[in-house]
Amino acid sequence: MSAPSASVSAPAPSPSASGTPSSAALEPAVPFIEIEGLRTEQFIPAAKEALSSLIAEQAQGKLIRPVFNWAGRNSLFPLHWGLACCAIEFASAFGARFDAERFGIVPRSSPRQCDLLIVNGTVTWKVAHKLITLYEQMPEPKWVIAMGNCATGGGPFRTAYSVVPGVDKLVPVDIYIAGCPPRPEALLDGILKLEELIRERGE
Amino acid sequence: MATDELNQRIQQRFPDRGITVEPFEGLAGRVLFPPAAALELFRFLRDDRSFHHLSFVAGVDWKSEREVVYALWSDTERDYLLLSTRVDASDPHLESATSVWPSANWHEREAWEMVGIRFDHHPDLRHLLMPDGYEFHPLLRSFKLHEPEELEVKVRHV
Ligand code: SF4
Repeated sequence: MSAPSASVSAPAPSPSASGTPSSAALEPAVPFIEIEGLRTEQFIPAAKEALSSLIAEQAQGKLIRPVFNWAGRNSLFPLHWGLACCAIEFASAFGARFDAERFGIVPRSSPRQCDLLIVNGTVTWKVAHKLITLYEQMPEPKWVIAMGNCATGGGPFRTAYSVVPGVDKLVPVDIYIAGCPPRPEALLDGILKLEELIRERGE
Repeated sequence: MATDELNQRIQQRFPDRGITVEPFEGLAGRVLFPPAAALELFRFLRDDRSFHHLSFVAGVDWKSEREVVYALWSDTERDYLLLSTRVDASDPHLESATSVWPSANWHEREAWEMVGIRFDHHPDLRHLLMPDGYEFHPLLRSFKLHEPEELEVKVRHV
């Protein structure tokens, strides 16, 4: 099986592979360039054209975005930030019994390494700007899960003078998990729902 | 320590200042004093009566008046003493105890924040539990439970 040594050969888009619906997004975008027999002065324009079409594909995100999406949604790194009682369930979800690492979810201690902010507890007005700071320190793309009634809408402290009635007043929330506190299974379910959401959005 | 003895000493030291000492179940007693006598009384209790430790300062809203309660602890007497004073609610202010007991600092910040009693000559009277710029004194009786939409809190983003 020796390929012609002078050919940049990538498989041409094959119409026969369109049987599976999911393969459409992942179809090889590298154009087929036949450079065998090209003279030097012809080679450079051909290579240029091939490269620019590659760049155009990439600009539309067709080339590697699906790969990033797949990799990203299967390795969500939440921020290790415990706020209130829900954080106990959060911790339990990463313990031996529920072992969220099965799903590639690993809590990290720095927002710079995270793409998922799980707000696991009561957010007071005093801590509100710290939450915003942490959110903004996370690199794009990033997602937010509001875990528990407190983060969702203030919970039992909704009318209190010191509690933010829902973190969606501060940061955009993707998934809300009800419960006071939600069980670790509910948290895992929420994270799996988020993975589905990320796949649908194709970010 | 006998409440009577304390009362005697205080009356000797501060005659006609309107300071009264009353017994208080389980404690050394309760001293009611007018706000004007605050600093002198504090210094007397610390230097002459060995109340070196201030446990807490708390504010109470009685609608027309605001009460400030201090709890002192004496290591030699091994007993607590309560101090209590009332200021008018129209302009509630009082001399700060921080120059006598530095531990009053945060307690007075809390009392100011929650029931709006200003402490004169406090070194750093700003919010303790609420963010800067919070405009309410939430433990006042006039403060109603808010629907969340009504409570406008500005979050200063730094
Ligand atoms: S939702 Fe319930 S368990 Fe969770 S932080 Fe609020 S009060 Fe605690």
